[in-house]
Amino acid sequence: MTPDMFFLLASILFSIGLVGLVSRKNLFVLYMSIELMLSSVSLLLATLSKVLDDTSGSVMALLMIGVIAAEAAVFLAMIIHLYRENRTIDSDTFHTLSQGENNA
Amino acid sequence: MIEQFLYASPMATVVLGALVLMLLANSTLTLSRLNLIAVSFLGLSLILQFSLYGDKSTAFLFETIFGDTFILDDFASIFDMMFTAGAMLTLLINNDYFKSHTYFSGEYFALMLFSLFGMMMLSHAHELLTAFIALEIASLSVYALVGYHKSNKVSSEAMMKYIVLGSMTGAFFMLGTALIYGSVGSTSLTEIANYVNGNSLDNIPMLIIGATFIMLTILFKIGAVPFHSWVVDVYHGAPYPITMYMASTFKIAVFAIALRLYLVDFAPINSFWTELLQAVTILTLFGGSWLAINQSLVKRMLAGSSIVHSGYLLIALSSIGLGSKVAAPAIMFYLIAYFISAAGAFGILSFIDSQSKRQMKYEDFKGFAQRRPYMALMMSIFMLSLAGFPSTIGFLGKFYIFTSAIESGQILLAGLGILTAFISVYYYFKLIAMMYFYPSEEEQKVFPVNISTILIVMMALIVVWGGIGTTLIPYIPGADGFMEIAIEAMSSLR
Repeated sequence: MTPDMFFLLASILFSIGLVGLVSRKNLFVLYMSIELMLSSVSLLLATLSKVLDDTSGSVMALLMIGVIAAEAAVFLAMIIHLYRENRTIDSDTFHTLSQGENNA
Repeated sequence: MIEQFLYASPMATVVLGALVLMLLANSTLTLSRLNLIAVSFLGLSLILQFSLYGDKSTAFLFETIFGDTFILDDFASIFDMMFTAGAMLTLLINNDYFKSHTYFSGEYFALMLFSLFGMMMLSHAHELLTAFIALEIASLSVYALVGYHKSNKVSSEAMMKYIVLGSMTGAFFMLGTALIYGSVGSTSLTEIANYVNGNSLDNIPMLIIGATFIMLTILFKIGAVPFHSWVVDVYHGAPYPITMYMASTFKIAVFAIALRLYLVDFAPINSFWTELLQAVTILTLFGGSWLAINQSLVKRMLAGSSIVHSGYLLIALSSIGLGSKVAAPAIMFYLIAYFISAAGAFGILSFIDSQSKRQMKYEDFKGFAQRRPYMALMMSIFMLSLAGFPSTIGFLGKFYIFTSAIESGQILLAGLGILTAFISVYYYFKLIAMMYFYPSEEEQKVFPVNISTILIVMMALIVVWGGIGTTLIPYIPGADGFMEIAIEAMSSLR
């Protein structure tokens, strides 16, 4: 495969992630969309590393996996917490703040 | 090598303190003790920063190991001091708040110090991936802190909104970094600056797109208007100490990296963004004002007004692109001014909340001046400063910002900025009117003398002294002293 195909794949994955983030309501799907966006950037970095013949891109992709893992920990903990509190992970049900005024 | 360790010591102290507090979190120590430990680590770090301020013998931290990843300059040192002071103020002013709200536990202090470490790393970052990791360290801790009131649905909801949108912009930051890496072949800011200087604007579209993605992330984190939807909700849902920390310290931290990027490394391509930034600035000024006017909770009003303050800072940022000389120190001065005023205003709100335990609406402030005359006076000082009233530090901040806008020929932006400053008088003075123009049924309460009130008084004095003061009192900077600090910080940026 040529690098072009990898660039195409990375951009398709990123777009799928962005569209998923905008259009879906389940918090798990939102989480997966964000991970997809971040992972597609990892793929992009790894490909660029190969194209430029420079190792630092691969190192960055590796470091990013670490950051993604840290983010996953916080995100999943939050999803579990929200499920325990509300018995749902539909993001549309969380609208107390946007309705605004009378809440404590 | 030893002196390298010395240069790293302020950051190391903070992260060490965070680890110690994490270990102590489940011990039997009371929250005040843990707070004391956290503050003493921060104090030690602040002392080290003061003693190391000035000429550094090396430009980069551990250059043999990290390359040019971490830069050492006065700009970063001053930002470090502001972050550390902000964290210390947050911890000390909210000492009563921790005691009166049962949901606080030991981990709170560890998270606070970790996020501070992330911010300090961010101000020293001289490489895009380091900046990303630093931003994530700071953000992840702040996400957890926003949702700290676990049994409160509002708090969890605020965390959910913040984390979804925050992680998305994190992905955009990395996409921008990857694109820049693709065109430059390195993510070091030195290399990027060389590359940008060596090529004309038309030959580097990929780098410009990447830098624009990074700019989107920065605009999101400071809450500029097309990306502002989280600000009011998150500031409202978070506990008061966290709101104070986010509004005063975290916002400044994002400006640290923004200034480093757009003042130095992307300076030659700044002209590309001028129209974009101007449009965002106008939207931010008016959108923020609109949000602030509509709120009935004081906390939400301050959140809305913090968007407007981002707008003022963006005016100066676009002036930099048009070659204004005052603009860079003006941003720095405004950051200091906003930091003190916002921290003070949120500090008073959290003081009231720790006494009465409810969200403060405008109506709740009726007769406040009779119940607590000194607190009302200081709240008025902070409101006057935020509104940009003469004789406070906020006025000078706005003065320098508008000067820079006029100098760079952006008369329209300066005019609109002054217009929104007038609009802001409405929502700030509404609070002052509520405090002073209504009688109170309750008796006057005694002014409690403890660490939080003393600090609030000190900050109110600094706000006034920063507006009218001179170098009369040694070690306490007056109006020109703050400006000197700002100019010094900016001139060390390279």
